[in-house]
Amino acid sequence: MATLATIISRIFTPGAGEAVARPAENPEDLYLVRAIPNDDVCLFVKDIDNTRVVRKVDQVAPKRCLKTIAGFCGAAALLILLLLPGAYSLLAGYEIQNLREKRQQLLIERAGLELEEARLTSPERLEELAKVQDFIDPAPDKIIYLPPTQGSLALNLPQQ
Amino acid sequence: METIRTRFLAGCSGTGDAGEDPPPIRRLRILIRLFLLWALLILATLVQLQIVKHGEFARMARAQQQREVEINAPRGMILDRNLKPLAMSLPVDSVCVNPQKIADVTVAADILSSVLNLDRDQLLARLLAAKVMQKGFLWVERKVTEEESRRLRSYKLPYVEFRKESHRFYPKGRLAAQVVGTVGMLEEEERGVVGLESYFEDDLQGRPGSLKLVTDSRQRGVDATVTVEPVAGQDIVCTIDERIQFVAERELAKAVVEHKCKTGSLVAMDPNTGEILAMASYPTYDPNEPVKKGEDLSPRLNLAISAPFEPGSVFKVITVAAALERTNLRPATIIPCGNGVINLFGRIIHDHDPYSALSMTDVLAKSSNIGAIQVGLRVGESTLHEYVQRFGFGRPTGIELPAESPGLVRKLKAWSKSSIGSVAMGHEVSVTTLQLAQACAVAANGGFLVRPTVLLRRGRDQQSLRKVSQEKPVRVMSPENAMTLRRMMEEVVLSGTGKKARLDGYRAAGKTGSAQIFDFDSHTYTHRYNASFMGFAPVTNPRIVVVVTLNGASLYGGAVAAPVFRQVAGAALRILDVPRDAVLEDAGEPGNDNLNDLPPAQLAAEPEETMLRPISVAAAPPREIVRPGALAAPDFRGKSLKAVLEIASAAGIQVVFSGAGVARRQHPAPGQVLSPGETVRVELER
Repeated sequence: MATLATIISRIFTPGAGEAVARPAENPEDLYLVRAIPNDDVCLFVKDIDNTRVVRKVDQVAPKRCLKTIAGFCGAAALLILLLLPGAYSLLAGYEIQNLREKRQQLLIERAGLELEEARLTSPERLEELAKVQDFIDPAPDKIIYLPPTQGSLALNLPQQ
Repeated sequence: METIRTRFLAGCSGTGDAGEDPPPIRRLRILIRLFLLWALLILATLVQLQIVKHGEFARMARAQQQREVEINAPRGMILDRNLKPLAMSLPVDSVCVNPQKIADVTVAADILSSVLNLDRDQLLARLLAAKVMQKGFLWVERKVTEEESRRLRSYKLPYVEFRKESHRFYPKGRLAAQVVGTVGMLEEEERGVVGLESYFEDDLQGRPGSLKLVTDSRQRGVDATVTVEPVAGQDIVCTIDERIQFVAERELAKAVVEHKCKTGSLVAMDPNTGEILAMASYPTYDPNEPVKKGEDLSPRLNLAISAPFEPGSVFKVITVAAALERTNLRPATIIPCGNGVINLFGRIIHDHDPYSALSMTDVLAKSSNIGAIQVGLRVGESTLHEYVQRFGFGRPTGIELPAESPGLVRKLKAWSKSSIGSVAMGHEVSVTTLQLAQACAVAANGGFLVRPTVLLRRGRDQQSLRKVSQEKPVRVMSPENAMTLRRMMEEVVLSGTGKKARLDGYRAAGKTGSAQIFDFDSHTYTHRYNASFMGFAPVTNPRIVVVVTLNGASLYGGAVAAPVFRQVAGAALRILDVPRDAVLEDAGEPGNDNLNDLPPAQLAAEPEETMLRPISVAAAPPREIVRPGALAAPDFRGKSLKAVLEIASAAGIQVVFSGAGVARRQHPAPGQVLSPGETVRVELER
């Protein structure tokens, strides 16, 4: 029957099982009780008083630690730097596409507004509105043409 | 505080055979081999993915990540000369469904028919048929309104899809409908079918492009590359002025309705450039409304270019022009009118009014038929035929509109003996309103035949519109004779049959015309007329030519068509800011004038059915008679500058001098009628 100890032994110590199954090679030991599996594994507990132990100061450790941290940070920064343009272009791509769609939509809206403006300013509608407001075409004698030979020019300048 | 010693650790301290690797090394080796094997497997897979099956996977990736999107090329706009849109395209929604996704066809038919105002049963039948036939796509309604689209979208039906399609709008409605034309659907695309839409189809129609769109897993666009650049349709700027066009259509419609005519057409043209400022036909139609089954399509016909008619007396202008050019007849030359009777190759012809003799100016002003026949006889058949052709009749003008009629001018060989008399009065020929405008422009612009055009500019957008090069006009009359003809035509308006064409503040010239309409059923001329008026203004520097034709009128051209000219030309000159060239007077409505200009149609040979349109018979027209007075130019010749000034001052006439010494020549000639505000030019020589 495979015990837990047997399984550990099979994994970590190849051949341990054979030792267990194999009878002792020495004929004198024939009558010895066969070894218990993992018989050679010695487990013992010993109390150690380490209250007076002082850790030896390692001068190199902090540097190594800092180097490690710096290395990790550097690697992370490099990774970010490498990935950043891609990520930025991805986000920019989304933005550009959104703006393109928005532009298209705005162009359509503008065309729609132009259409509406054209409808609203059609001569037929303007004439209807003029009738409602009692507007009339000016009589011919009400129109004054400035003779070009005199160089007259009508300007609507703001008051100084 | 505690130490654990295992056999594994013990093994590390150096137990085992001297010739073999210690177990940890062995195990490490095994692990490395496993890793290598794993790496090899990955490498092999990579080779397979990246090299062996690269093409296949690349295709799959492209299909998943890239989409080919069509870029619409909008159809070009049609604008008037002031860049006011007359036709424009907008993308609108079309509704389609995937019948296989519809769970309950009846419910779907109910919803769609109520939102889109469709026949529920018909839609249900279509949906059922599509579902049974395993179709994955079905158009429900194309080009729906914005409101319908918004309402249907709000329902968020999973089986409904919306697709953008271009739709043509005509924001001004009926305005210039026959000129602008319409579009129809051909092979799923909008194509012009009549008018400018058809003539400039290649320019207006853009070429759609395509776009490679890279998408993410949610089909959102990440990057786009244009693979085929779209070519937008060119905008077409036509010469039409929407304000003049509106007035033209309004006045034409009013005249047609008021005088119970069948149809009417009008052309307003710049005589110097040939640019058409307005081109109207009545009846008309709304191009926004699609053609219905069984609908009468005649209102869609551009009568001004497509419907030829016998012109009648307006054609006398051509006869007189030929006489001025090729004979020694002058405006003051007396033409015998035989007291209203003439024997033309055995046929007795009566004039509408008996005149014993008239000056050639009066022949035109009073529209004497016998006078015109006499002038025609003096001109001769071949010369008259030549001038008819030189003035552009018998061939298309070349305007940029489809379905233009060339009219009909018979070959000289086909003329009968009496044809010279008929053609001199405007019978035995058929012309279009546009051809009359082109001919009238010759007198107005000093003798040039200009090609009428409706195209002002074209280009891709409004910033880069290109001016269209004009064809060089052809001289068909000397400038002197053109000026003389202009004065003679002015007399028609001042004292002749065209008094109703007088303008406030402008000198106008023109010619009336009335031609009896031939009934092809009874083979007789009816008492309905092609009443027409062609004229121009201001006489001193003509800026506009207006030709009005009313088909089926019961009155003469001077009574029904001349007032339309007055309204349209007056409004056009005001819109174009043309300074007045005459003193303002209350032109009013002239009454009691003799406006009869009717040539005896019985003289003419029967028109061919192919060249004319049959018109129904109606009652005979009444007649009106009136004769107003006018101021004649004094004779300044031989007088000194001071004497000329005294005479002019006493008579209230403006005089312009050139040279020095004694008056030798003057224009207008002595005795000629002066229009109000007209200036007399006096040339002095020592």
